[in-house]
Amino acid sequence: MDHSSPFEDQLASLLPRLRRFAHALSRDAADADDLTQATVERALRSKAQWEPGTKLDSWCYRIMRNLWIDTARARSRKNAREAPEEEGLSVGEDPRPGIEAAVDLQRVMAAMSQLPDEQREVVALILVEGFGYREVSEMLGLPIGTVSSRLVRGRTALLAMVGEQ
Amino acid sequence: MNEDEKFFAWLDGELDPAAAAEMEAKVAADPALTRLAEQHRFLGAQLKGAFDPIVEAPVPEQLRTAVRPPAQVIDLVAARRVRSMPALAQWAAMAATLAVGVFVGTQVPRGGTAPVQVQGGKLYAAAALDQALDTELASTPTGDVRIGITYRDSAGEICRTFVAPAGSGVACNARGRWEMKGLFAAPEGQGGDYRMAAGMDPNLAALVDSTIAGEPLDATAEKAARDKGWR
Repeated sequence: MDHSSPFEDQLASLLPRLRRFAHALSRDAADADDLTQATVERALRSKAQWEPGTKLDSWCYRIMRNLWIDTARARSRKNAREAPEEEGLSVGEDPRPGIEAAVDLQRVMAAMSQLPDEQREVVALILVEGFGYREVSEMLGLPIGTVSSRLVRGRTALLAMVGEQ
Repeated sequence: MNEDEKFFAWLDGELDPAAAAEMEAKVAADPALTRLAEQHRFLGAQLKGAFDPIVEAPVPEQLRTAVRPPAQVIDLVAARRVRSMPALAQWAAMAATLAVGVFVGTQVPRGGTAPVQVQGGKLYAAAALDQALDTELASTPTGDVRIGITYRDSAGEICRTFVAPAGSGVACNARGRWEMKGLFAAPEGQGGDYRMAAGMDPNLAALVDSTIAGEPLDATAEKAARDKGWR
């Protein structure tokens, strides 16, 4: 029995961050938790491929991103065509008028959900998750210049959608 | 890297010092760029603000158990499941579930020293474990059983976590008896030197988190609770 090895402990402590990234990718709370669960299961099955000493978080983010591309991306594109998402996703923020901060967050979230997938994942990884450009380029298997240009386009589009302050 | 990309790389702290100094001077000299930098800093903060509540929210139980499959927990359901079996089979099943021989298996037969017993479909502490839960304070460990934290659960019962050589768990005092709420086998290889093991078993910690009402009792409150018979 090996239920509290460093691997599982670290994986457990990554759960809140993985959920946050899953929300950014899938734009839906239920899908996000499904994606997180699938990521955890894949990570546990692939445990032998993780090299101790390397960063487990990048490794798990990469698994999550690849899983999402494999399964959910096709579906969410289809959904987006059929029913464009106006509201963004709710994370328990109360969007009642008068709670201005919550409305702002809602608006940012909604704007984020309208970004093209390849910009949204880069924006999420760098501006929300706090990874560096190089780390993200390795994680996504993209040249650093591509990461950088997607980030520019993504955040410029976000600013235009959220409205200049 | 074009000038746009360089501007954002500067904003994100990705430029080397020389290039960063150059961009900083350029931004400072240009009110439009200065304003753009402010807008994007604010946007970044808003993005963090929008997504951070997810990090602070409790992780759903389903995800926590996905990391650690729940077969290692004995709970009431498991106890009820074994209730109908003959006594010896119960112990065998429990030992198998726990995957520890020493904790129950080798101590069970007739010796009266088994640390847990089944009664009416519930698991209760017995022998040395029962005694430790009754009398020991966290600050003064005596025997093989070490008490961790003492707290009230959402039902108002006093609960105490413990670590024994082969495992750890939590028991709550129900009408004078210590009912086991969870038992977790020690990680393999740590059975003998459990005192060295750092921190609480994560499964146990999760169980405590999900049942605790308020904060754990401090040493004074723990002693007072003992003096009042754990009521």
